Amino acid sequence: MLIRKEMKLADVIHHDHMLVPVINRFGIHFGFGDRSIEEICTEKQVNIGFFITIINAFHDKQYFPKQHLQSFPASMLVDYLLKTHQYYIDDKIPEIEGLIQKMTTNAKSNEESYLLAQNFFTEYKNELITHTEREEKRIYPYAVALEEAIKTGLVSDVLLQQLNSYSIIEYEAEHENIEEKLFDLKNIIIKYLPAPSDDQLSFHILDELFMFEKDLNEHARIENLILIPKVEAMELELKKQGTIK
Amino acid sequence: MIVHLTVVLVESTYLIRAGIENLLSELPGMVLQSVFDGTEKNLSQKIIDCKPDLVIVNCSINQQILVSLVNSLNTENGVIQIGLTNENTPLNISSRFSHILNSNEGKFELLEALRKIIGKRGIKNETENDQKNLTARELTILKKVSLGLTNQQIADKLFLSIHTVMTHRKNITKKLGIKTVSGLIVYALMNKLVEMGEIERSRK
Repeated sequence: MLIRKEMKLADVIHHDHMLVPVINRFGIHFGFGDRSIEEICTEKQVNIGFFITIINAFHDKQYFPKQHLQSFPASMLVDYLLKTHQYYIDDKIPEIEGLIQKMTTNAKSNEESYLLAQNFFTEYKNELITHTEREEKRIYPYAVALEEAIKTGLVSDVLLQQLNSYSIIEYEAEHENIEEKLFDLKNIIIKYLPAPSDDQLSFHILDELFMFEKDLNEHARIENLILIPKVEAMELELKKQGTIK
Repeated sequence: MIVHLTVVLVESTYLIRAGIENLLSELPGMVLQSVFDGTEKNLSQKIIDCKPDLVIVNCSINQQILVSLVNSLNTENGVIQIGLTNENTPLNISSRFSHILNSNEGKFELLEALRKIIGKRGIKNETENDQKNLTARELTILKKVSLGLTNQQIADKLFLSIHTVMTHRKNITKKLGIKTVSGLIVYALMNKLVEMGEIERSRK
């Protein structure tokens, strides 16, 4: 289904409730009433085009208008990506961690196996945090600074230093490793952990992991296919302008 | 090992084409090579050029074309011909095919029918070979990986080429469904292939 701005947000959520965390990142929360997406966005001062594009991209893998998404300012993109990180680190990860801890505490036998899974998750968590922090310190401000420089024609020394200091290949490899670890965690739970004492809890964890994975993949897709090419294009643009050599 | 079967479809409507594609996607190893709508020039030759294992033809295409197509496919060895029928398909047409798919059937029945037709030719039951337990060699390598050895170190220790080690590692990942080294360590510990103490010692 293609989501359009005339639709009622409540109807859209009935159709795909996985969009709830996504719209939360735009500062939009429950209590939509019968208002349309357009009305809600105007009220919350959210860019309608950007909102529609993001939720469509999230809702349907086939929908990924690269050209269209690249037309939005980098600062808008970065703002969204930052909020996504916040959601992962402040909400989702602690929630899943709590569930996994509960599974370990509940274990009546094979405690070591559960502890191994828990440690694996902790390792994963730390890797994810390091990765997001690196992005927030290096890539995101860099993208915004590039955009600013193109607008003003001024290139600060700091920006000059940052240019080409981060390898894109390295960046994509990190994404891949984070995806693989999550994949492993799912299989550890599905295939290798001894039968749990609480089936519901295990299912809950698995369900959370699948949802988290989808969210994370979407996030990485936006970064790899939109943000990075945009940064590269802006670097080129600055060089063309002759602002940097 | 999955054996690939090349499929060619002769079907003019988008909806049925999409339905057939959907069915084929559920049968591992079936590759839909080409789709024709039945009006192409030299249709028979074009299909034969695809070297198909399986040709699915909608029986409602032009009769003359259909008859000449079936006749030329009959001269090709080992091509399975399937007629896609409905309640209006005349018997003198459907009887030309050795196999029939009735488009009025439900998904489950259609899949069963397709499986029967393919029989032993394709799909060497993927659980048969792919998913079996690790071999002794793979277990040895898994243990060494858990202890933190690099591919090169493992190759040196076991007198193998690094390519052989990498092939083993690929197979381990495929069999276990675990891609990262830390995931493999968890697996090895859970299954008591290594002890925590051994890992700690090897890290020093």
